[in-house]
Amino acid sequence: MSELTDITPKGALRKGWSGLVDDYAIACEWALGGDVLLVGDVLGGVRAFDGKSGKVIWHLTDIHDGALLTMRVHPDGALFATAGQDGYVVLWDCRDGKQVAGLRLGSGWVEHLSWSDSGSWLAATCSRDVFVMDAECAEVWRSKDHPSTVSAIAWSRDDEIAVACYGRVTFYDVVNGDLSQKLEWRGSLVSMILSPDGDIVACGSQDNSVHFWRRSTGQDSMMSGYPGKPSNLAFDHSGTLLATGGAETVTVWSFEGDGPEGTSPGHLELHTKPISSLAFAPRASRLASGARDGSVVAWALKSDGQGGPIGAALMTDRVSAVSWRPDGRALAAVDGQGGVCAWRVS
Amino acid sequence: MNNNEKVPVTILTGFLGSGKTTLLNRILTEEHGKRIAVIENEFGEVGIDQGLVINADEEVFEMSNGCICCTVRGDLIRVLGNLMKRRDKFDYVLVETTGLADPGPVAQTFFMDDEIGSEFALDGIVTLVDAAHIDQQLGRSDESTEQVAFADVIVLNKTDLVSSESIDELESRLREMNRMARLVRSERAKVPVETVLNLGAFDLDQALERRPTFLEPEYPFEWTGVYSLEPGRYELSLDDGPDPNMSLVAVMDQGTDDEALRDGAEWCVRRYAEPSKAIAPGDAIPAGEHVDLQLSAEGRKVFILEVDVPSKLGLYTQHTAEEFDIKLFNQGAQSKVPIPLEAERTWVAQHEHDDEVGSMAIERDGDVNMDLMNAWLSKLLAEKGIDIFRMKGFISVAGESRRFVFQGVHMLFDAQRDKEWGDTPRRNQLVFIGRNLDEEGMRRDFDACLN
Repeated sequence: MSELTDITPKGALRKGWSGLVDDYAIACEWALGGDVLLVGDVLGGVRAFDGKSGKVIWHLTDIHDGALLTMRVHPDGALFATAGQDGYVVLWDCRDGKQVAGLRLGSGWVEHLSWSDSGSWLAATCSRDVFVMDAECAEVWRSKDHPSTVSAIAWSRDDEIAVACYGRVTFYDVVNGDLSQKLEWRGSLVSMILSPDGDIVACGSQDNSVHFWRRSTGQDSMMSGYPGKPSNLAFDHSGTLLATGGAETVTVWSFEGDGPEGTSPGHLELHTKPISSLAFAPRASRLASGARDGSVVAWALKSDGQGGPIGAALMTDRVSAVSWRPDGRALAAVDGQGGVCAWRVS
Repeated sequence: MNNNEKVPVTILTGFLGSGKTTLLNRILTEEHGKRIAVIENEFGEVGIDQGLVINADEEVFEMSNGCICCTVRGDLIRVLGNLMKRRDKFDYVLVETTGLADPGPVAQTFFMDDEIGSEFALDGIVTLVDAAHIDQQLGRSDESTEQVAFADVIVLNKTDLVSSESIDELESRLREMNRMARLVRSERAKVPVETVLNLGAFDLDQALERRPTFLEPEYPFEWTGVYSLEPGRYELSLDDGPDPNMSLVAVMDQGTDDEALRDGAEWCVRRYAEPSKAIAPGDAIPAGEHVDLQLSAEGRKVFILEVDVPSKLGLYTQHTAEEFDIKLFNQGAQSKVPIPLEAERTWVAQHEHDDEVGSMAIERDGDVNMDLMNAWLSKLLAEKGIDIFRMKGFISVAGESRRFVFQGVHMLFDAQRDKEWGDTPRRNQLVFIGRNLDEEGMRRDFDACLN
């Protein structure tokens, strides 16, 4: 534990605070406008750290039998949702960690949660099924027509959700329940991200490629040659830059002009093991990346995808999540040993 | 992370009713001190209090390129990906498949997915075979054939339900299909846990360390008979048979269960490798030596066996007892009643099987030209990779002081330098298990790679 307090970050990452949770930390997200950092561990514990001091404000344990699988803070920052192997989705109050509502979706694992931008809807997956709930955790819609376990979900509009599974991405209007679009591709899609305007759909594939579609034109492309599967993807706020993992190098594709087809992507090289987490700063061309070697790097990028490091720090184990504070002036990361770090970003 | 730090994973395959659940429960009971995670298929029924049991649908994911060696099991990637997110890792993972599962994608998952491969090491594939029903299944279903072909260990289960002749015959059929696998007989899936776990079958160094060859031995004898004898002199009587002589090794204190017979067989293989000593009718047969019985005289011939202390005597004979009408009598007894057998078994194929799936081995002395070898293997795997389920081997490369070892699952291929040859004779051994293998062509092509 003592080594965690001795982190000497470099460059733009300034020493903040560090802490520890009970087991492998799987998620960290800022809440209450950046006043609080929530960290969930695989055993089903959630700790709320004071964003400035790192002091623990409240602490939950064993909230999901088996394991906690995912945690998502509501866009307004006051509520957060958790889900786990027990098939439950539970809503909590960020201020005190009190349970607000809960719903059991089934006997399968609930692996993915996603709030719509307005915060009106919460989507969750349970094996092959997708559920949409309102902000009180009441089911409003579900879809059972997926051929395999759902691997990713994302909101394309406030009332339209994208669902990725083996061989396809499907879009549903959650108000009337209609299937609005189906994009097919024979391959196992392991991750998905949409551009902020919902037009570009990017998926990492098990065969070590990134496939993307432009919904408006129907054009699709494949970027191959990754040494591993691109499980981590991130779009910047403008929808210009798509950062992808799948290697020790972060590959950044630029959608500027006619790109990224026919252009060379930016290669961000500093990590010594494959990327395990990626996040763009809000409203800025800054990217944070974490890797299996425990390294966390902040990068400044240009609109063509090229860029360089502006700061770096080292944690003790695989970085499982990185998260920018909403104002972009602090960065948090968690690792496989339960380590939690927050840095000020200058 | 090297293989020693990775969590070992054993895959249990076999048709419905072959005894997978019984074996799983046995392992969980006997290894109760360990943290074992079990990934069961949706029909699995292991008691939940026995450790962490996760049910998973078998989701086979093909890749866009259509390559079958890239096909993986999505459910395993998901479940194992989650299991590795623990500070206290599991000691062991057992994956039980349904009887209809193709073992290829299961094995490939550990090589194709870098994340899974960096945390978990496939330890071995164990296939349970229901001795009473497999004969029909092998003819009817590709899955059961492939489960046999992929196995590192074949547990021939429910042997109490069939005659010993049909087990022997079944064993020789399975052995012909997969000469790499170790065969274990069992009743109610009762096998020692160490015969199925921690095999290191996909770890080339480890596999060769434990067994210096990838091949199960071909026994130079066809029959074993075990007699329980008091001290005294005995007559071994043989009638006219197909040959004018026959090799034999007599073993004292021979056990009668399958394991003991197999241990005896392993020991006798080495005796058989020694020069034989000719024994004429009327002479005594020394125990523990490779002897050659002289049988050219007409009519029944008698050889003497001397027993000092009460013992179980095992005879490992080159031909079957039937061919020479082998009988054992008390010397000088009034009534000529043969001594009954305590146990017996046959060791080789009684007739050839025409299974599509079979195994072949290439064993050659000499050095290989690496360029030619690479070119040949690339071509072979590109053209026949779909039909080659598994391959293993070691080769002696010209100009290299170290041995090269390699293995493959379909088109996936992994080769590395192994230990120094030192004083051991340089040689090559390649084993292939596959469908409709062109043995003659492959041997010819390999020979063309030799310097």
